[in-house]
Amino acid sequence: MKAGEVMLAFRLARRELRGGLRGFRIFLASLALGVAAIAAVGTVNHAVMGGLAADARVLLGGDVELRLAQRHLSEAEARYISDATAAMSTVTEFRAMARPVDNTERRTVVEIKAVDATYPLVGSLDLRPPSAADEILSQRNGQWGIVVEPQLLNKLGVDIDDAIRIGDASFLIRGTIVREPDRVASVVSFGPRAMVSAAALPSTGLLQPGSIVRHNTRVVLDQGTSAEDWIATANERFPSAGWQVRDAAGAAPGVRRFVDRFSMFLTFAGLAALLIGGLGVANAVHHHLDGKVTTIATMKCLGAPGPMVFATYLIEILILAVSGIGLGLALGATFPILALQLVGDILPVPIEMGIYPAPLAKATTLGFLTAITFALWPLGRVRNVPAGNLFRQAALGPAGRPNIRYVTAAGFCAVLLAVLTILTTHDRLFGACFVGGAILTLLILRAGASLATRVAKRLPRPRNAVVRLALMNLHRAGAPTPQVMMSLGTGLTVLIAIGLVDSNLRLQIGERLPDVVPAVFFIDIQDEQAPTFDAIVSDVSGVTGIERVPSVRGSIQRIAGVPVARAVIAPEAQWAVNGDRALTYAASPPEDAKIVAGAWWPPDYAGPPLVSLDASLAEGFGVTVGDTLTLNILGREIEATIASLRDIDWRAIPFNFALILAPGLLERAPHTHIAAVYAPAQSEDLIERRVTDRFANVTAIRTREALEAVNNIIGRIGWGVRAAASVTIVAGALVLAGAIAAERHRRTYETVVFKVLGASRRRITHLYAVEYGLLGLTTALAATAIGTTIGWAVTVLIMDFEWHFDPTVVATTTLVCVTLTLAVGFVGTWRHLGQKAAPFLRNE
Amino acid sequence: MTSQHPLPIRTPPDRPGSAIALEDIHLTLDSTAGAVHILKGIKLVVERGETVGLVGPSGSGKTSLLMVIAGLEQVTAGTVHAAGHNITRLDEDALAGFRRQHVGIVFQGFHLIPTMTALENVALPLEFAGLDDAHQRARSHLEAVGLGDRLLHYPSQLSGGEQQRVALARAFAPEPTLLLADEPTGNLDRATGDAVIGLLFDLHKRRGTTLVLITHDMTLAEQCDRIVGLRDGSIATDTAVRPAVANGAQL
Repeated sequence: MKAGEVMLAFRLARRELRGGLRGFRIFLASLALGVAAIAAVGTVNHAVMGGLAADARVLLGGDVELRLAQRHLSEAEARYISDATAAMSTVTEFRAMARPVDNTERRTVVEIKAVDATYPLVGSLDLRPPSAADEILSQRNGQWGIVVEPQLLNKLGVDIDDAIRIGDASFLIRGTIVREPDRVASVVSFGPRAMVSAAALPSTGLLQPGSIVRHNTRVVLDQGTSAEDWIATANERFPSAGWQVRDAAGAAPGVRRFVDRFSMFLTFAGLAALLIGGLGVANAVHHHLDGKVTTIATMKCLGAPGPMVFATYLIEILILAVSGIGLGLALGATFPILALQLVGDILPVPIEMGIYPAPLAKATTLGFLTAITFALWPLGRVRNVPAGNLFRQAALGPAGRPNIRYVTAAGFCAVLLAVLTILTTHDRLFGACFVGGAILTLLILRAGASLATRVAKRLPRPRNAVVRLALMNLHRAGAPTPQVMMSLGTGLTVLIAIGLVDSNLRLQIGERLPDVVPAVFFIDIQDEQAPTFDAIVSDVSGVTGIERVPSVRGSIQRIAGVPVARAVIAPEAQWAVNGDRALTYAASPPEDAKIVAGAWWPPDYAGPPLVSLDASLAEGFGVTVGDTLTLNILGREIEATIASLRDIDWRAIPFNFALILAPGLLERAPHTHIAAVYAPAQSEDLIERRVTDRFANVTAIRTREALEAVNNIIGRIGWGVRAAASVTIVAGALVLAGAIAAERHRRTYETVVFKVLGASRRRITHLYAVEYGLLGLTTALAATAIGTTIGWAVTVLIMDFEWHFDPTVVATTTLVCVTLTLAVGFVGTWRHLGQKAAPFLRNE
Repeated sequence: MTSQHPLPIRTPPDRPGSAIALEDIHLTLDSTAGAVHILKGIKLVVERGETVGLVGPSGSGKTSLLMVIAGLEQVTAGTVHAAGHNITRLDEDALAGFRRQHVGIVFQGFHLIPTMTALENVALPLEFAGLDDAHQRARSHLEAVGLGDRLLHYPSQLSGGEQQRVALARAFAPEPTLLLADEPTGNLDRATGDAVIGLLFDLHKRRGTTLVLITHDMTLAEQCDRIVGLRDGSIATDTAVRPAVANGAQL
């Protein structure tokens, strides 16, 4: 086309738009919703990641952090670090029991943080009353100070200026913690925070050899020193230190992982909403052009070349797409700001709110490509409109397959859209799975729609006239069955899949486990306390079992001789080298152990160190029986040869150790025991009290409370995910409303004719109810089949859980679908029921 | 009416002389009920400047014949010459170009574009022809049909008679050599219809356009030079009402 012709097409498109947005509201809403969803997800992700990046130093507590399990820095290490940095500070973290000094009934687990005089190196600690940490925690009149999170006061029934006992020491509560600069909320917290001075620790008597404790040393580097170089030098200087080192870029890895996962879910919902929006675009363009048949034919009769007619409507759609995308961007950029204003305070991480161009650009590109991809097919058919329509009083819509040029262009845009979706998704594999799944879902739903219309056609004609007419409406030419099934079906598929995955997850954690899990776990039982512990616990009535195992914490340093930093480790095995792990030793294999390679050592084995390793870890590490693992246990490096590989069912508790060492090595190392006690709920208090009264250093963790906490969090995440996923149902409902609005004229005509023929409003209402009910039910059936398959695949193949089909999820979602179809159907047709026959027929 | 600029140079005719020459044309259309043989061996020559009334019962093939002449339907067999061009096997875009250059059409249902004003509707074929002064020309064509004060009205704001006058102005605006009208007064009352027909014949006389007009109204048909009667897809009668005018001599 020449420039002049393009300009003319622009003018014609502008004139076409004078007809108003009638018929395009659904187009705009569908596109805006999809774009808004993508933009909002990206904005939230950037805001959280931006917040993390901005506060990374504060969250880490310095430029570099060195974490040590169960041991302090050696003198040489401390001296080296002190000399090589501008400032250093060490915080010690562990769990302990706290109880009021004057009340023996109440007690709770607390997360102790013992700080030195330089804490915090970066950021500020907000206390009430405002005070410096070393000042408020110091020893005055022989009494150490403590500051706690406010909920500890409630739990123990104490107040400021009351004393509480932790281990062998008593502390005076001098204030509460408002904000801790370096605390990133973890998903599971066993108790409130209590902060004490590091100098007070010896008096508690809690730091016994083998206690589960972390010493985190944070440093501020000299100006101009790069964290990476500093870490490399320190590791080179102390190759066997066994510390876990991270710099600010790696701060809060758990939160990052969580945000990544959560935003993956949100992205999934956003992409699904955009996909459904695309279907809405296709339907809206299709119906719009159906209504333009006369105009198109007139243009052709007046000599308009085909490309110009196509260009006119393409430009019209593009102008509308730009408006829809603009609306979506405005919503997507502002919604997170408003939402985070409301809930920002309860988020575990700082939020750097703002307008982020990158996610907006991504949403624009994907929105634009979606609009074009889905509009090209119906637009291409403009050229199929027969100009002879004008002579025949027939309004034959654009039908058949468009010219190969438009099919090719639509295909090209679709491929581009798929590639961009994959490239702009954080996890490419996830992006590819989404694209593949979306294509498959649409194909299956389309095939389902064809099958449904065919079945409706072939069914024996029911005697009931209403049912017969409703069935006919499902398969007559131009019925909205395929559009509704594809759009609403896609939304429903997403909801069912997410609902089923969520219910399986909850089932694993919330419902199935409490039958088999112990009532209370005890940690930090000293070796010499073990026999007394067993005796005390067995004495409590109701206790049905005790399992106790020795435990030492250690970290993997080298895999088959290669330092973990350089070893090739599969992502799913990365967790095992990220920090220190609990190790144990045993003469005989655990009950139910499935040895899949090698053999268990003889009971009286007394040779060089051997280890039995989790088979999936071995696969992730790329090692097998005969290879070696070098472990750092309490600062000592031990090279153990892999003697056997075990298949571990991680969901079976109480104790599963990825690494079990042969006897002869750890018994001599200082170590503690962990124990699981099985008892009914009413005995929990007594068991906890007896043990912790006797051993101040032993910490009790109530499984029920911990599981409730986890369940609560999973529940909240589940609701968040489902709320986000519901955007797909909104998108589906929009498309449904569009499909119903598009056949408004036919409905009105049909209603009027029925009335002329003597049908009552009640009967017509009944007909619509049956028709939309059948449509909703058919859609729900198809979506259930696909959603269940996806849910099963995620649960079994990705999460590696046992599959449990939850009919209530499907029933609820189906009910929502049928209700929604009926509601939208009725809202769309209600007005026609009131249509008086005479004026309509006069105007026909 | 005077033209401000000459219209673009038209392609030279490959059969000068007659305005329409149909040689043994057949038209068969497929339908779900099977193939329908609509036009059966029609032979018809219409001289330039001639006015022809096409009459016949419903289903006799009048509209199909008009569509064939306009290049909106391709014949199954035979040859179609219109405005001196063989349009039998032209593709869709070439046919659009042919119509743009040579054909004006008036419909029973007016078929104005509802989102465009009267002026824009009339300017449309001129814009398709790439004329810069399309709106000026359209204005003078609307003034010629007495609608100089309705230029910016939308079709919905005009009466049926006014809409058909806009349609007439639009059909005449590109100065076609061939004007095809399909029951142009079918949707109008008698008085309005008569006024529109008066205008149609007046414009025909002033421009020397060849006019083919479908009608059920014999009084109207008798205003033409010639009446061609169709029956069951064939020409049943071909009666000269008055002597044919040769080659637009009336101009």
